Amino acid sequence: MKIRKKARYVDPGLCNACEECAKVCPVVKPDEFQMGLSSRKAIYIPFPQAVPCSYILNMDDCLGNNPIACGKCADVCEKKAIDYDDQDEIIEREVGAIIVAIGMDVYDPTEMDEYGYTRFENVITSMEFERLICAGGPTAGHFVRPSDHERPKRIGFIQCVGSRNPKIGRPYCSNICCMNTVKDTLLLADHYPDTDNYVFYQDIRAFGKSFEDMFQRSKEAGTKFIRGLPGDIEEDPETRKLTITVENTTSGRLERHELDMVVLSVGVVPPKDRDKVSGLLTLSKTSDGFFMESHPKLKPVDAPTRGVFFAGFCEAPKDIKDSVCQAGATASRAGALLNAGEISVEAITSRIDEEACTQCGLCAAVCPYGAIIWRKGEPAVVVEAACAGCGACGATCQFGAITMRHFTDEQLIAQVRAVLAENPQDKVFVFACNWCSYAGGDMAGISRMQYPTTNRVIRTMCSARVSEEMVLEAFRCGAPAVLVSGCHYADCHYINANRQTVKRMQRLWNKLDKAGVRPERLQLEWISAAEGQKFAKVMRQMEEIRETVTMEEIEHTKQALKPKPKKKAPKSKEAAAAAS
Amino acid sequence: MAEVTTETFRCMMCGHEYQEKVEKGEDKERSCPKCRSNSIWHLKKKRPAKE
Repeated sequence: MKIRKKARYVDPGLCNACEECAKVCPVVKPDEFQMGLSSRKAIYIPFPQAVPCSYILNMDDCLGNNPIACGKCADVCEKKAIDYDDQDEIIEREVGAIIVAIGMDVYDPTEMDEYGYTRFENVITSMEFERLICAGGPTAGHFVRPSDHERPKRIGFIQCVGSRNPKIGRPYCSNICCMNTVKDTLLLADHYPDTDNYVFYQDIRAFGKSFEDMFQRSKEAGTKFIRGLPGDIEEDPETRKLTITVENTTSGRLERHELDMVVLSVGVVPPKDRDKVSGLLTLSKTSDGFFMESHPKLKPVDAPTRGVFFAGFCEAPKDIKDSVCQAGATASRAGALLNAGEISVEAITSRIDEEACTQCGLCAAVCPYGAIIWRKGEPAVVVEAACAGCGACGATCQFGAITMRHFTDEQLIAQVRAVLAENPQDKVFVFACNWCSYAGGDMAGISRMQYPTTNRVIRTMCSARVSEEMVLEAFRCGAPAVLVSGCHYADCHYINANRQTVKRMQRLWNKLDKAGVRPERLQLEWISAAEGQKFAKVMRQMEEIRETVTMEEIEHTKQALKPKPKKKAPKSKEAAAAAS
Repeated sequence: MAEVTTETFRCMMCGHEYQEKVEKGEDKERSCPKCRSNSIWHLKKKRPAKE
C-alpha cells in the first residue's frame, strides 16, 4: 500500500516549539480545533497535546510561498527548522491486514433552521460548548455567552439534533449525545452551582455501566429534564435571550422557557472521506452510511473484504469504552491473521477456464471484491484468497468460462430440471440466497407461518449467482412463476453483489416482454433472515400469480424461449494468431 | 451536482406505474409505493426510430 505523508514545512526534529515563528506570522485564521471560537496563525501547533509537539505550516494560508512575500517565520527561527520547499512523501509498505479507524464527523445543524443556529449567536453546538468550558479553550474555561461574554444563568440543551430524525435522512441514534449532555450538566453544576439547566429530550438513553447513576446525579444536581423537542426558538433582540416553545409530552402542556443560551446536542455523521476509503478497500455501507461489518454478531469487527478490520465510529456510533473494546478486538483479529502463517480460503470460489475465456473483462467488472485480475488481451485470473464465492462472475460470463465450485451452472440447471420434471404447472419456482432469503424461509417455517405448499426453493450463495439462463430454463421446463430473492441492499453479504441481480432482472423482464411472455411471472424480492412473515406473504402472492397462468401460456412460453443456436465465442486477435 | 432525471417504473406485483426522480449513479433499494414489492421494472424510454 502507498501512504501519502503530508509535508509539514517544519522539521519536527529541529523545532523546539519556542513560538517565535507564530508571534511574527501576520496571517490570522479561525482555529479549527477551537471550533472557530478563537484564531490561529498560518504556522501553529494543531492542538495543545499534539504529538510531536512541533509547529506545522499550513501552506494554503501562508503568504511566504507564492511568491516569497513574507518569510518572517523562517527569519526568526534560530533552529532553521522551516523549509518552504518541503514535499509530500509517498511511503510504500507491504501489509497483511488493514485496520480502518477513520472516525466520524459531527452533524452540521445549519439546515435545521427552527433552532436558529445560523441566526442567533447564543445558540451553540455541543462541540462549541466543549471548547468553551475546557480549561484549554478560548476562554480558559470561563463559560460565557458568545453575544456579550456574560455568564449565562439559564441554559437549555436540545437533544437529538441530527439524530433519530428521518425527515433529514438521519433515522439512527448517535449513541453518545445523551450521556454527553448529562456530563455537561454535571460540569455546569460543579463549576456554577447557581445555573439552571434544562434538557429537552425525546428519550434519555443511559444504558452503559454507571450511566444511569450519572443521569440520576444530574437530576439530583437540579437539572430539569423535559420530555419534548422544541418546535421553535425566538430571540429578544435587546437582551439576546432565547425563548423556547415546547410541548411537554409528560404533562401534555405547551411550555415556554426563557433561556440565556441554548446548546444543540448534535449527532454524528459518517466521515466525509468514507467513500474514498470504501472505494480503495471495496467496503460496503449500511443504510445509515457507516461501514458494514462482515456479520453483525459473529464477525463484528471484520470487513467483508478479507484482511480489513474496523475500529471505532466508522463502523457505527459508539462511545469511548466500546471503541476501545472494538479496537482491542480488531488488533487481536489482525494479529491472529498475521501470526497464523497461512490462510484458509473459501471452499466456494470461482475458477476460470483460460481456454474458454474470451478476455472480455466483464467478470472483473462485476466482482465486488476486486478478486478478478484482468488485463486487456489476457485471460482473467481469480485471486482465490480474495474471492468470497458470491458467483456474480459465473452468472455474468456468457461463455461458460467460469465455474463456481459447488454451485456450478450444470449443478444448478440440473436442480431446476429435476424440480420441474413432474407437474411443473403446479409449482412456484424460487431461487433463494443462502444468507437472507433462505433463512427467511426457515424463519417462516419455525414460526409456523401458513403459506401455500407449491413453492420449490433452490439455494444459491447469492442472488447474483442466478444467471439469466437459469431463470429461462425454469420457464422452458414449464414453471408458471419464478421468484428470485436475496438480501436487502444494506444487508448484502457480498458487499453489493445483489445490484447485479437487479440489472439481470431488468434484462430478463425486457427479454420476456419481447418474447410475448408476461413479465409479471418473474418476480424479485429482498427478504431478510428475520422476515419470515414477508417470505410467507410473498409465497402467497406467488401462488396467486401461478393460478393465473394457463397451460396454453406455459406451452407458448416454452416455444417463445427456445434456446437459439449458441454463438461461437469470439477469440481475441492474439489467441487467433497463436492458434493459426 | 449529479444528473437527475425523472424515470418511469412499474411494479411487477401490483402493476402500479409511477415516476420517480433518479440521480445518476445512485444506489437505492426500490420498492413499490403502493404494495412495497421489490419487483420494480425500470421502463426505459424508447428511442425515436431513425428516419
